[in-house]
Formats: sequence, C-alpha cells, structure tokens
Amino acid sequence: MEGVEIIFKIAAIGLITAVVSQILKQAGKDEIGTFATLAGLIVVIVMVLSLIGDLFGTIKTMFDFG
Amino acid sequence: MDIIFKIIGVGLITCVAVLIVKPVRSDFAMLISMVGGVIILVMILSSLTTAISLIKSIANQTGIDGNLLSLVFKIIGVGYLTEFTASMCADAGSGGLGDKVLLGGKVVILVMALPIITSILTIVMELLPT
Repeated sequence: MEGVEIIFKIAAIGLITAVVSQILKQAGKDEIGTFATLAGLIVVIVMVLSLIGDLFGTIKTMFDFG
Repeated sequence: MDIIFKIIGVGLITCVAVLIVKPVRSDFAMLISMVGGVIILVMILSSLTTAISLIKSIANQTGIDGNLLSLVFKIIGVGYLTEFTASMCADAGSGGLGDKVLLGGKVVILVMALPIITSILTIVMELLPT
C-alpha cells in the first residue's frame, strides 16, 4: 500500500499552499502568494506525471507494445 | 481476493480527500482524483498479469499465431488506456474531450485490426472456387 501516501501528500500540499497564499494575501504580498500557489501546483504535477508515466510503462510492457 | 478491499480503501480515501480539498483548491481536487484512479488501475494491472500469462500459455498450446494474440492484447491495452483517459477528462469536467479520446481509441483499434480483417478475407478468397 505504498500508493495511498501520495494522495495524502497531494491533499496536504494543496491545503498548505492555500493557507500560505491566504496568509500572504492578508499581509498584502499578493504576488508572492501567487508564486507559492504556482510552486505547489508544479510540485504536485511533477508527482502526478511520474505516477502516470509508471502506469503507461506498465501497460506498454504488459500488452506487448514494442 | 483481498485486493478488492485495497481498491475500496483507496477509492474511499481518495473520495474523502477530494471532498476536503475541493472547497479550498478545486484544481488540486482534480489531481487527487487522477492519482487515485492511477493507483487503482496499477493495482488492477498487477492482478491482470496472472490472467494474461494464463491466456498466453493456453494460446501457445493451441498453436495459434503469436502475432495475432499480441495484436489482441494491444487492442485491449488501447481500450483500457482510452477508457481511463476519458473518465479522467469527465472527472475534470470536460467530458466532451473524453468522448473525442474514445473516438480516437476506436479509430486506432480499427486501424490495428485491419491486418486481421485482410487475413480473414484472403482465407475466404482462397476457399472460394474460382
């Protein structure tokens, strides 16, 4: 069950970046908040892409694609 | 058999995580549901491996052409991948794009099945008296 942890990780990253951007917005640093949100999104997308790449590689080897 | 409990657990956890994250960040909720789908699919594939190897060994005993069997497995793989992608697009709220992916999968399967159809046609033509 090594796969479930990534769901919690992504949910945690989402909540943390939301809180950080809210705090920065309250402090009047709107653009830094936007960059924090963007960084969180990029980290999560990299994680998701590696997972989907693994899935496609598994299917490729399993169903005899050259 | 106990893999079904794992799949149910991953599905429920993903569902709850999506529900928690969605009001805060709706784009992350889509990514979480995507990851849950990928994890469930990987679990299914690991148990599908045994079935595929069994089918391959049976087909080897009947002496069927290996190319035909691998073509059938490729077509099954295209079907699974397009189905997965279409449901992911539907989750993300653009179901029309998923329908187009399904259409692309159908066209690809048709093109891949053309050699089988031509081989059947040549066999029938040989059987016909000229």
